[in-house]
Amino acid sequence: MTLPAKNSPKERDSALLAAIAAGDRRAIEELYLSYHRRLARFLSRFTPRYENVEEIINDTFMVVWQSAKDFRNASQVSTWIIGIAYRTALKSFRRQKNHTGARSLEDYPEQTVDPTFEAEVHDWLKHGLSRLPIEQRLTLELAYHMGHSLEEIAAITDCPVGTVKARMFHAREKLRQFLPALSGGPSDLSARIG
Amino acid sequence: MTHNRRTENSAEHLEVSALLPWYVNETLAEADRLRVETHAGNCMACREDLAAQQRICEAIEAQPALNYMPVASLKRLQARLDTLAAPAATPPQEQPANRMPWRGWMAASIAAVAVAVALFAADRWVLEQRLQPSYRTVTSSVPRPQGEVIRAVFSPTITLVELQTILDEAQLRIVSGPTEAGVYSLASNSTLTVHASLALLRQHSTVRFAEGTVPEPESGNSR
Repeated sequence: MTLPAKNSPKERDSALLAAIAAGDRRAIEELYLSYHRRLARFLSRFTPRYENVEEIINDTFMVVWQSAKDFRNASQVSTWIIGIAYRTALKSFRRQKNHTGARSLEDYPEQTVDPTFEAEVHDWLKHGLSRLPIEQRLTLELAYHMGHSLEEIAAITDCPVGTVKARMFHAREKLRQFLPALSGGPSDLSARIG
Repeated sequence: MTHNRRTENSAEHLEVSALLPWYVNETLAEADRLRVETHAGNCMACREDLAAQQRICEAIEAQPALNYMPVASLKRLQARLDTLAAPAATPPQEQPANRMPWRGWMAASIAAVAVAVALFAADRWVLEQRLQPSYRTVTSSVPRPQGEVIRAVFSPTITLVELQTILDEAQLRIVSGPTEAGVYSLASNSTLTVHASLALLRQHSTVRFAEGTVPEPESGNSR
């Protein structure tokens, strides 16, 4: 299925999903290729193994194939697909017994790392993120890596807006304890306001 | 009165503080954006938190991300989809009451024979599969997909668009692959000789291997 180039991404996604609901294999292939990069980059932040990333993406699109006829336009197609990927990923990460995100921050002693080097801040952040409970980390990454709004994250995670805010609040608090270097001087944004 | 003002300020602070991540990723509605800016202008704690959140957001964005080639993954999805029926399949109709019971016995007998035949065939198939090697090398001669004239391996970082551009230029199309080893079987789309298509493929650094599968005296060495 090839759609006219003038269609917006939202219109294109909706048309593809309608075709998938009618059993069009070309349509699911097109939708898959248009989402693979975005999902792979997001999921690879949680697992270093591409086999896991691929499994989550393919499981997601199996659900898309089987459930397309039930989609009722209550949200954007992209939000619906990322919501399926979120739930699939959550199940997969919970299955991984050694997933470090399942541990709590209290399991780790206070770190003493020189915060003056940017590379260390990156390592530190990676370390800090891996220690957040998975729901909190997914919420933070959906906002900061994927750029989703509060309402979109609520739809993706199938949670009230208040729950999303609470998860983000706890994630921020834990990162603040873990990454004191990031609470340093003023940023461009805060300087603009202040 | 002062107490009420303090409580109001505290509630406003908590509500604005909860919105800061979405101020940073610039997805707040206009009214909420103005609310954050008004409050943070007078609140040192929010300004500091905003600075911290912006650094975290920038650090997350700056972390390197890998690019994957989706075609191999799509092939595996297609294989899974092949095992399913179309999603729009209609639900089974309710059957009327069975008025001739002997028909049921006959149908059951036929089904039992069919299952036995299928099991026998499956057993033979499994036996044959065991006798076949479970792998396929780049240069193995069997099985050869219909129309295949070239086998090629591309860089794992190649994008779908780059792959299609290279194939269009060499006037080739994919007839099979990629295998577990990343090997594609390519067929010719035109009257261009295999030798010419190979030469076009090999001039790209993203082509790791390209070799003709039909004998051709002029064929050069593989990359």
